Amino acid sequence: MSVTRITVDGEPVDATAGSSLTAAFVAARRWRLRDNPVSGEPRGPFCGMGVCFECEVTVDGRPGVRACLTRVVPGMTVETGAPVETGPPSVGTRP
Amino acid sequence: MSARTADAVVIGAGVLGAAAAFHLARAGHRVIVVDRGAPGREGSGTTAGNLHVQAVHTRRPGQEVPLDSARFLPLQRAASDRWEKVEAELDASVELRRSGGFTIAETPEQRAELIAKHAWEERAGIATEVLDGDGARAALPLLGPTVTAATWCPLDGYANPLLTTPAYLAAAVRHGAQVRPFSPVRAVERSGSGWRVTAGTDAPIETPRVLDVAGPWLGEIAALAGIRLAMTPVAIQMHVTVRLPETLRHLVQHIGEGLSVKQVTAGNLLVGGGWPARRFDPDGRSPISAASVLGNMAQAARVLPFVRELRLLRAWAGPLAATPDEMPVIGEVPGAPGFLVAGGTYAFTFAPLWGETLRCLAEGTAPPVDVHDLGPDRLITPVSFEEAR
Amino acid sequence: MTVSHDVLSHGVLSRDVLVVGGGPAGLSAAARLAAAGLTVAIADEQPELGGQYFRRPSPAVLRAHGDHRPEGGRLIARVRELGVDCLTGHLVWGVADDGRTLFATAPDGAAVRLRARHVIVATGAYERTHPFPGWQLPGVTTPGFAQHLAAADGTPVGRRVLVAGSGPFLLPVACSLLDAGAEVIGVAEAGHPYTPSLRATAALRHPARLRELAGYMARLARARVPIWQGRVVTGASGDDSVSAVTLAATADPSRPVGTFAVDAVCVGYGFRPQTELARLLGCEIRADAATGDAAPVTDAFGRTSRPGVYVVGEAAGIGGVHLARARGRLTAAHILAARGGGDRREIVRLAARTRALGRFTALGEALYPSPAALQDALVSALPDETVVCRCEAVTASDVRAAATDRAGGDLNAAKSWSRAGMGPCQGRFCGFAVAGLVRAARGGERGEPVFPARQPVRPVPVETLLALGEQEPEGDAA
Repeated sequence: MSVTRITVDGEPVDATAGSSLTAAFVAARRWRLRDNPVSGEPRGPFCGMGVCFECEVTVDGRPGVRACLTRVVPGMTVETGAPVETGPPSVGTRP
Repeated sequence: MSARTADAVVIGAGVLGAAAAFHLARAGHRVIVVDRGAPGREGSGTTAGNLHVQAVHTRRPGQEVPLDSARFLPLQRAASDRWEKVEAELDASVELRRSGGFTIAETPEQRAELIAKHAWEERAGIATEVLDGDGARAALPLLGPTVTAATWCPLDGYANPLLTTPAYLAAAVRHGAQVRPFSPVRAVERSGSGWRVTAGTDAPIETPRVLDVAGPWLGEIAALAGIRLAMTPVAIQMHVTVRLPETLRHLVQHIGEGLSVKQVTAGNLLVGGGWPARRFDPDGRSPISAASVLGNMAQAARVLPFVRELRLLRAWAGPLAATPDEMPVIGEVPGAPGFLVAGGTYAFTFAPLWGETLRCLAEGTAPPVDVHDLGPDRLITPVSFEEAR
Repeated sequence: MTVSHDVLSHGVLSRDVLVVGGGPAGLSAAARLAAAGLTVAIADEQPELGGQYFRRPSPAVLRAHGDHRPEGGRLIARVRELGVDCLTGHLVWGVADDGRTLFATAPDGAAVRLRARHVIVATGAYERTHPFPGWQLPGVTTPGFAQHLAAADGTPVGRRVLVAGSGPFLLPVACSLLDAGAEVIGVAEAGHPYTPSLRATAALRHPARLRELAGYMARLARARVPIWQGRVVTGASGDDSVSAVTLAATADPSRPVGTFAVDAVCVGYGFRPQTELARLLGCEIRADAATGDAAPVTDAFGRTSRPGVYVVGEAAGIGGVHLARARGRLTAAHILAARGGGDRREIVRLAARTRALGRFTALGEALYPSPAALQDALVSALPDETVVCRCEAVTASDVRAAATDRAGGDLNAAKSWSRAGMGPCQGRFCGFAVAGLVRAARGGERGEPVFPARQPVRPVPVETLLALGEQEPEGDAA
């Protein structure tokens, strides 16, 4: 019962319910969770304890979730690679 | 140690001191700039870098005397024009941008104030446009439903404060100025018809002119020379969110409350407006006030509801020196020939104009704007100043 | 787990004691105080109590392998039985203007004010890392992360792993990786701790520690895992994740001695106290000359310069789990005595035990290179193109230029000019390296060890701030 399915970037991924979400990524060899907003370089989980913010992903629509502090729940939907906060569309209209 | 000499000693390597040093050095004067710490670290390194061209709100949170907008606006106009020359004369980019700004109103009183301010702006030759609430939201759909009116000013802008002070200092040095960081001033004494300034471990400097542009420490430096000035150092807060894609291209301010919001080049949203820190600490570690964090961020989220979705990354406090009437101070101290001061709120907007003005005052020539009523005389005896009002 | 709404009154939780951090020290203090009848709450950012050392295995690992640290499970169970309010998933990020009320964000983003007569800061430690070219590549992690993955989640960090850095922790990490099925290609230790002569000296003083280390070494020897001493990682490379790692001699980091194919690298040089909350509370902090870290000034009872604020466990200085637990209990006993209860003999006994454990720690530390000296050596050899600040992608040359050209050797000015330390980790991972680069630019003169602590301790949802503002309870004012 503990092996479950989650969705990562639209693809099904096997994960263990109750384990950390970073463990699911590592087990699936999905290291690249985001690109650095300045350099564009790939980044992945580093400290595993909530300090480095390199493992931020969007979980069930909530952005900026640290995967290392998140437990796998059956059916959860994860988006990687998105900017931390998306904000509204750019709408400054004045010249 | 034998004494050194200079044509002018500038105390404070903030943006005002840097601009004054540049203008003096470019005119051929031998200038020494001294600072207690690293250049541009205090108010000039912690400011949001806004160029305020349309009328600002007249009360910072906690401010007692409102600013005299009618007198202030022509100065803002002159300051705005002066910024246009900065990048060329410094031969450096300071990321000067005229992205325009909105000043918003929520209450009927604030709306009336916006309309009054628009009339003053027209008189001062500053183009602004008054919009009703829906007009403001059409122009900037990020504005929330509580906004009932706004003025739009295309001249409101930004310069990067972390580039501006170093660019001024570098240009001053190219013209022969000396900069002495980490040299706290220990003594300012009369010496013959001039002054002797002792800073750090260097030999004293003999000079006919002292420019006290020490920001929050302006009063402290003046006191070393035996001059008492009614300047109050305060620390105000800035708040910055995590990065987001380019969303807000304009400066957004509030006419009735301390609020300014803009998005910086790196993508973070910067929220300020003069909310007070817990206290001013002269050693540069003013602790922030949580009440100010909550108050300032709540305003920002009310006026710009998308702020609700963001996360606050960091808050810090930066110092400024306020005058009792909130108007700038610039001029020679009566009874202390050669001792000039400049400071007050909005010093960043005024820096290029005041740099040139200080050079003129030091040389005894006519300054680019009339500043006779902004001199430090009104700060020397606060009681008679109050009576005069 | 969210605290039930009946313990919260308008978003305020008031208890006799608030413990921030649910690791060994915080749990030990909480258990003792709750057993004496005080009302106690523990807040911790992690989804479960236990901290890093007593991190609970996932249910699947528990079923398959049992509990690797059952004493942690027992301690957590006891704390819960005693009625301690356990605010897991609660990030404590700031301090109100009264200097005492703490602000927290619940897992659902809700705002909580925490108030207590006694505040015990037990925020633990995080790993001491040093930048090197490529350390920002996915697949390069801290040893602690690899340890959690292996022990708590049964997942090896990679198939071919190099473990490097300094300190005794590298050995159990390598063993856990073997247990989880990884190939450990080697352990690179910056110092030379594992020599016959030192072993003999150490064995006389504390045989238990040596037995533990010897056990790990035997396990590594059976698996033919080499231990390379006097070696540091000086580079990692790969495309989307790490595929190769380079070692050099600690004595000359500029000259590589070997490159290895890997799919994960774990590099750490021990641990540093997490002091941000203590600093926000106004506790005096001192730079430790041996470690280069900043640690709160505490007395034997964990008292700080702020009355009613205590710092215990690794947050007060690194000393290991036994010392952390003893310090937690001693602070608890002191609080009970100060309230007119407690047992004097208990205090005497615990004080003696913490002193003995402290000596133990010092002996262990003596085996390994001085962290401060190692940091200075590694920082001065850092190639210019190395990304130092991971968050803002600021390189060593950016920091060096800012420090010399513009900042006049001032750490905070160097931060302003370079943006190093301005990202979401708030300079936790680059702060000491940036301070080292600035120090080098200043000619080695010691200054601030790291950036000042700022609110919020971690990025906090604006929604939480709005909720706090709406609650507006009395008593936050300075």
